[in-house]
Amino acid sequence: MRKPFKILIPLAFWLLVWEAAALAVGRELLLPSPAAVGGRLLALAGTAGFWLSVGATLGRVFLGLFWGALAGTLLAFATHFFPWADRLISPAIRVVRATPVVSFILLVYLWVARSAIPWVIAGLMVLPVVWGSLRAGLDSLDEKLLEFARVYRFSRRKTLGLVYLPALRPHFEAGLLTAFGLAWKSGVAAEVLCPPAYAVGSRIQQAKLGLETPDLFAWTLAIVALSLILEGLLRKALERGDRG
Amino acid sequence: MIELRDITVRYGEKLVLDRFSLAIPLGGITALSGPSGCGKTTLLRVASGLTEPGSGAVSGIDSRKIAFLFQEDRLLPWRTVSQHITDVLPKSRRGEAARWLAFAELEGEGGAYPPALSGGMARRLALARCAALGGELLLLDEPFAGVDQERTVRLLDRLRGLGVPIVMATHQPQVLAACDAVIALDGPPLRRV
Repeated sequence: MRKPFKILIPLAFWLLVWEAAALAVGRELLLPSPAAVGGRLLALAGTAGFWLSVGATLGRVFLGLFWGALAGTLLAFATHFFPWADRLISPAIRVVRATPVVSFILLVYLWVARSAIPWVIAGLMVLPVVWGSLRAGLDSLDEKLLEFARVYRFSRRKTLGLVYLPALRPHFEAGLLTAFGLAWKSGVAAEVLCPPAYAVGSRIQQAKLGLETPDLFAWTLAIVALSLILEGLLRKALERGDRG
Repeated sequence: MIELRDITVRYGEKLVLDRFSLAIPLGGITALSGPSGCGKTTLLRVASGLTEPGSGAVSGIDSRKIAFLFQEDRLLPWRTVSQHITDVLPKSRRGEAARWLAFAELEGEGGAYPPALSGGMARRLALARCAALGGELLLLDEPFAGVDQERTVRLLDRLRGLGVPIVMATHQPQVLAACDAVIALDGPPLRRV
């Protein structure tokens, strides 16, 4: 089957299911039709506020992704190389990984400014994933290659560039792709619970409070579409990096 | 002369070297021959300082710069054949890469990656990389494993042409016949025969 049909046929099927369910329910407040949601999404996309909110949310998610990935990487190296750091930090990271995101949002709300909460939360969700992925990579690194680098008089910098980084790259990429989805979801969840001035999460919260169900669906649809597009772009960028 | 005195090495329960002593002449090519698993690799590793013996002492290496060829190729799957050579050359000698590729008869493979190489080609690359690293002594562990006989003879000639003492572990009869000295071993635990 050709690629467009592989996408279009399942999409058409689920739109039909949605339409049928909306007709069966018969109340827009509970379940608006795809046409009503699509119309609202188009109308919203024509306003500056929509793009301002989308841009601000994207900025927060990427800021969270950046600091979470950076901290996860540094801590993975620290906990791999220094036993005292492993004993001290690894259990704390495992606690962060096991803690529900909602608990963190409410806790962080007490400590940082409201506008900073989404990117702090997104980073906190990213950190353990990138850390775990890189730790697995570091722990499974071929000792024989490291011995080779020592015997062939590679400097530390050369060993890092020619042995560690290429060997860890697949682990980092897998962790980053998983973490991206988490950053996106947790960042928007934080925006819903602690709404900043411009944010997709704040608009979802407003739609819910105003019982504007088509708007709620339209914003959710926008989030899903953005998440899929950005994940696809990230995957392509990583693949291009692998080939280059 | 490398002197090993009363060397003991144990891997878990397995005693590989038991108060073993040996003098290895440093001139031309010296072969350590013996069946697989007798302890030749351990002996080379102890001589080079890579394996710390449980007891005993090694002398004669001092501050000599050693190039060591591991029993496994230890190639980096993400580096090309050419890069394997340039990675071990100092900046001032980067222009020598072609010479070392010719040494290993890998001239047409400079852009290839290790997974695309045959076993023999990978071994030749590992050997060329070791030779390119340079040193005052080459310690080679089974340098011609998987390399065809004709190439082995040519490579042996090129190694001799480097003009540095070479000690190699091998059990290939045609290689032993071309060496200047052969130390026959058996084991484990390792013993001279």
